[in-house]
Amino acid sequence: MTTLRVPNGGRVRHDEPVAFTFDGKSYTGLRGDTLASALLANGVHLMGRSFKYHRPRGPVTAGSEEPNALVGTSRGKGRSEPNTRATMQELRHGLVAESQNRSPSLKFDFGAVNDRLHPVFSAGFYYKTFMWPKSFWDRVYEPVIRAAAGLGTAPKEEDPDTYANRYAHVDVLVVGAGPTGIAAALTAAKAGAGVVLVDENAEIGGALLSDPSVAIEGEPAWTWLAGRIGELAALGVTVMTRTTAIGYYHQNMVALAERLTDHLDEIPQGAPRERMWQVRAGQVVLAQGALEKPLVFNGNDRPGIMLAGAAQTYLNRYGVRIGERAAIVTSHDSAWYTAFNLADSGTAIAAIVDTRSHPNAELLGEARRRQIRVLVGHTVVATSGRLRVKSITVAPMTNGRVGKSQTIACDCVAACGGWTPSLHLFSHTKGTLRWDEASAAFFPDRKSEACEIAGAGRGLWGYAPVLADGVAAGTAAASSFGQEARAVAPGVKGDRPGTGANHAVLATSVKPGRVRAFVDFQNDVTAKDIRLAVSEGMKSIEHVKRYTTNGMATDQGKLSNINGLMIAAETLGKAPPEVGLTTFRPPYTPTTFATFAGYHRGTHFEVTRKTPIDGWADEQSAVFEPVGQWRRARYYPKAGEDMDAAVERECRATRQSVGIFDATTLGKIEVAGPDAAEFMNRVYTNPWTKLGVGKARYGVLLGEDGFIRDDGVVGRVSETLFHVTTTTGGAARVLTMMEDYRQTEWPDLKVWLTSTTEQWAVVALNGPNARKVLEPLTEGLDLSNEAFPMMSLADCRVAGFRARLFRLSFTGELGYEVNVPARHGLALWKALMEAGEPYDICPYGTETMHVLRAEKGFIIVGQDTDGTVTPDDAGLGWAVGKKKTDFVGMRSLKRPDLAATGRKQLVGLQPEDGSLLLEEGAQIVADPDKPVPMRMLGHVTSSYRSAALGRSIAMALVADGRQMMGKTVYIPMPDGTHKATITSANAYDPDGERAKM
Amino acid sequence: MLLIRCPYCEETLPELEFVYAGEAHIERPKDPSSLSDDDWRDFLFMRSNVKGPHFERWRHVHGCARFFNAVRDTVTDRFLATYKAGEKRPSLAELEKAE
Amino acid sequence: MTFHAQKRPVAAAGAVTIEDLAPEARFSLRGDPADAGILGRTLGVDLPTAIGTRNEKDGRTALCLGPDEWVVLAGEAERDAILDAFAAIEADTPHALCDIGDREVSVRIVGPDAAALLAMGCPRDLSHLAPGRAVRTVFDGVSIVLWREAEEVYRLDAWRSSAPYVRELLETGVVELRAGL
Repeated sequence: MTTLRVPNGGRVRHDEPVAFTFDGKSYTGLRGDTLASALLANGVHLMGRSFKYHRPRGPVTAGSEEPNALVGTSRGKGRSEPNTRATMQELRHGLVAESQNRSPSLKFDFGAVNDRLHPVFSAGFYYKTFMWPKSFWDRVYEPVIRAAAGLGTAPKEEDPDTYANRYAHVDVLVVGAGPTGIAAALTAAKAGAGVVLVDENAEIGGALLSDPSVAIEGEPAWTWLAGRIGELAALGVTVMTRTTAIGYYHQNMVALAERLTDHLDEIPQGAPRERMWQVRAGQVVLAQGALEKPLVFNGNDRPGIMLAGAAQTYLNRYGVRIGERAAIVTSHDSAWYTAFNLADSGTAIAAIVDTRSHPNAELLGEARRRQIRVLVGHTVVATSGRLRVKSITVAPMTNGRVGKSQTIACDCVAACGGWTPSLHLFSHTKGTLRWDEASAAFFPDRKSEACEIAGAGRGLWGYAPVLADGVAAGTAAASSFGQEARAVAPGVKGDRPGTGANHAVLATSVKPGRVRAFVDFQNDVTAKDIRLAVSEGMKSIEHVKRYTTNGMATDQGKLSNINGLMIAAETLGKAPPEVGLTTFRPPYTPTTFATFAGYHRGTHFEVTRKTPIDGWADEQSAVFEPVGQWRRARYYPKAGEDMDAAVERECRATRQSVGIFDATTLGKIEVAGPDAAEFMNRVYTNPWTKLGVGKARYGVLLGEDGFIRDDGVVGRVSETLFHVTTTTGGAARVLTMMEDYRQTEWPDLKVWLTSTTEQWAVVALNGPNARKVLEPLTEGLDLSNEAFPMMSLADCRVAGFRARLFRLSFTGELGYEVNVPARHGLALWKALMEAGEPYDICPYGTETMHVLRAEKGFIIVGQDTDGTVTPDDAGLGWAVGKKKTDFVGMRSLKRPDLAATGRKQLVGLQPEDGSLLLEEGAQIVADPDKPVPMRMLGHVTSSYRSAALGRSIAMALVADGRQMMGKTVYIPMPDGTHKATITSANAYDPDGERAKM
Repeated sequence: MLLIRCPYCEETLPELEFVYAGEAHIERPKDPSSLSDDDWRDFLFMRSNVKGPHFERWRHVHGCARFFNAVRDTVTDRFLATYKAGEKRPSLAELEKAE
Repeated sequence: MTFHAQKRPVAAAGAVTIEDLAPEARFSLRGDPADAGILGRTLGVDLPTAIGTRNEKDGRTALCLGPDEWVVLAGEAERDAILDAFAAIEADTPHALCDIGDREVSVRIVGPDAAALLAMGCPRDLSHLAPGRAVRTVFDGVSIVLWREAEEVYRLDAWRSSAPYVRELLETGVVELRAGL
């Protein structure tokens, strides 16, 4: 054990050493350490390099706000994480940590040349420098800048870990388990409320973990804490550690990111690495405490210089002295206790340097008792030490002038510039803030959610006041449930009350050009940068932030925002609230993308719907494509076939004999009731009253704007029942639209709608031999052309199953669609495959279906239409009931723009070169030699190679297209401009004889 | 994620069960063909786009499947009221008083 | 309210199980709420009118999902009898009875961790779903009907095509709960 570890000190397990490596070197820490505390125990302060100047840096904090000590951590293949805060990563056996943003090593880094050039890299450097030539941005500037300035490297391998999600509901959610939060949770729980208490640390206790000498209710702090942990458990309070409340959303929805395995030596089987909780709370108590504010002085960023509160935490919680000889620099009482604790643990205190002329007499007495040298009314003018601080140079301030300086040798510095309430979550709720001049901090003002904010988080200081405030918050939270709390605030002995003074920047006698006083450590923003931004015209803190990048690092300004604001305000000569505060946004601390994604990755990326025949298609090595949420077989390649070959084969087989197609995904809606026909009349363009039972019709659905929304075949099952089919992707939309009219416009109609998409499995048979395949399997129905002609439907039995059979054709061939209860879908498919064997029945996918229908000029809504196409535009004017007085969208068809000439109409395109495949989406022009920009006549909507026609085919929307039959148009494409003739889209069997066989 | 009270289910439920369905109280004309082009245009496209209390429609799609009406403040994103389709528009003054 | 989705100190293997349910006769019954009486008499079960409540009699169940929507469950063998009974009253009492016996598939989720498993995808506060009630809600983006059959027994109906997706998360969740973190 090193001499920096206090024997039996802190809350770490001295009997449980834990081995780890940092930059390839082996170290030993203790169970309960963080990576940072273990490295500090080994005398290592240098843990990283800054973003821009590559300056050597050590940890400045002991918590989640750490800007400097970012490392890469890993535990085997794919399990690596960049930018892990060493102050948050708990030590585990075999932890591998690497420093970042340095080359070749942390101690010797070529990138540090940037630091010598710092006068060049001032605020706005990028905006001013990398302006021209334009092409340099992509090729030169960005790659070079990215390589030189940056944080860790993202892992390239897939993350083998899993991530979880959970919804939860609770009466009272308490965020932050310091003394305030514990008091609030206990109080609310005693009153009978269900309570969840969360804390981002590995154990609860907050500041008490760093302040063991305080006595609460007559017990030493840690004894009291242990008692309260027992009490919380007994009261049924759910305590969640390693859990960060990252965002506070509407109506008390709080997102919690829980870290489950990063601290474990072994990952339990099946355990997710992190879990996102979406908690809905009746009441929220925010007890997040306060963040210590760094002092901004020349050379304040050297390794070994850290916040005094952090030094105290390392000492008292982890049993680690941050050095052998410490200098304390402070403007607040709290750092004095750090000095006393360090002194009592064997670290020499070189001096306590307080900026105030008259610190608290009691503190002065305590220092005197320990024979600590105290310099009051002093400023820090400089520091020294490259990889570790060696000294600080201080000078007295008299009447605003820097006096004669002296240099004090030290190997570490504990600095404190006061405390800032942590208002991040409160701000997420759009709760308002007010500026408190005395403490130079924003305090919470008006609430917008059902929440309490308590303790140091609203500017209170000292254990007695925050415990009392926690009790009050717990009481208030419980009372909103009508529960009465009867808790009294615990008494505190040895409290550490404190006050402080505030400084934007500590004065120095060093020449301004040589001063390096850092405000944002990670992004290397100095006080000078902020002044420069102001002098260059940035008057709002939002502009200053973006110009300097102050507060834009991974700590999101937790340490730098207030100091930056103070400097900007001072420079502008305005009060800080007039300059403003940048908006806090979720997440509170860096959160992995995977935690947000949760279960939604890999096969579970999004909802995937499968038909009963999906498994069979998968076995046949079908290639699938997503259509809406469905996955559909796109084609069924045989060995060695690519898509074109497979589709050509499938098309030929269907046209020549018979093809089989899984049409289950088609939307199906039962429209039932005595007013069903009337409802259909009002919704679809077509007339329905006279459609006979057992007959089907192609229906077109418009929006009120007159544009095509959906289409599909509708069959009349009985006088009061229609079987409506919709497009695969449109099913839910169509049902929603119908329900909307039914419920809100025509509630008087006796009609009801039920989705039956999933009730039926649908198998389509198409091709001249379709009847021959189907006939032997069909019972109770004469399939002859006379008895069951095109556009008929009937209930019967197929392959022994109850079936609803349609005769229709989306291919131009003799076609049937067999609907059977979905559980029998696969059996039906197999029976038809077997029956079709003598005819070389061929399964085909959506691609072939698209080609076959395009050869006939049948539209696909959403491909050949785009929400601006009327029935007439699509050549479907015949489907609009001429005698109807109203249907959805009818009035719009008479609007001048929709009735005008010159509208784009759907036509066929025949490329001059029959082997050429036009690009879908390609624009069409009349004369390609016209100067650019030239008028576009329209665009290609569908384009395929047609085996049946022996050439490529295309459909297009072309202005006045139907008046241009036979005319030549041009289609500019990346490989040149192509010529094509406008034709009818119905190119194959134009009279439709084959479907009527 | 908001909480929305469904006036049919009489329960306050997570927003994930609901979908937004546009501005409320825009009735489809009984006889569209009698409307002028301008009046029909207004019906189709003109919406109030208010800053503040907005009368709008929601559907409890993963629930009772009913469309219903709501008053939501577009500034605070807070629901002031929800009520059944076909019911009278509530008075804003009274809703604000109730707040 | 309670934080019922809380972690358990020991989530032993088998703290929750998922069981596939056999097909049964299942209908969507739609009609005028004013006709609920006669529709109920036809079914042989009083139709509940409060959304989320159900009645059961002689092996037939009616669940009210919406103001004019009920789910009817019965033994597989009763399908035709139910269809016939309602067809007989259609002329006088217009309604829609649609066979959805193949539209949906169901699983039963049983055990002390059942609620925790459902909380992985369902945003509802299940403590408000009293045993005996059932509602349509959402699980991981998929519309479902969730029945709370008893304190620790839930039944989940999902449309057939999305059932594999729902099942995948449930299985993942069982493993997750077994890991005990």
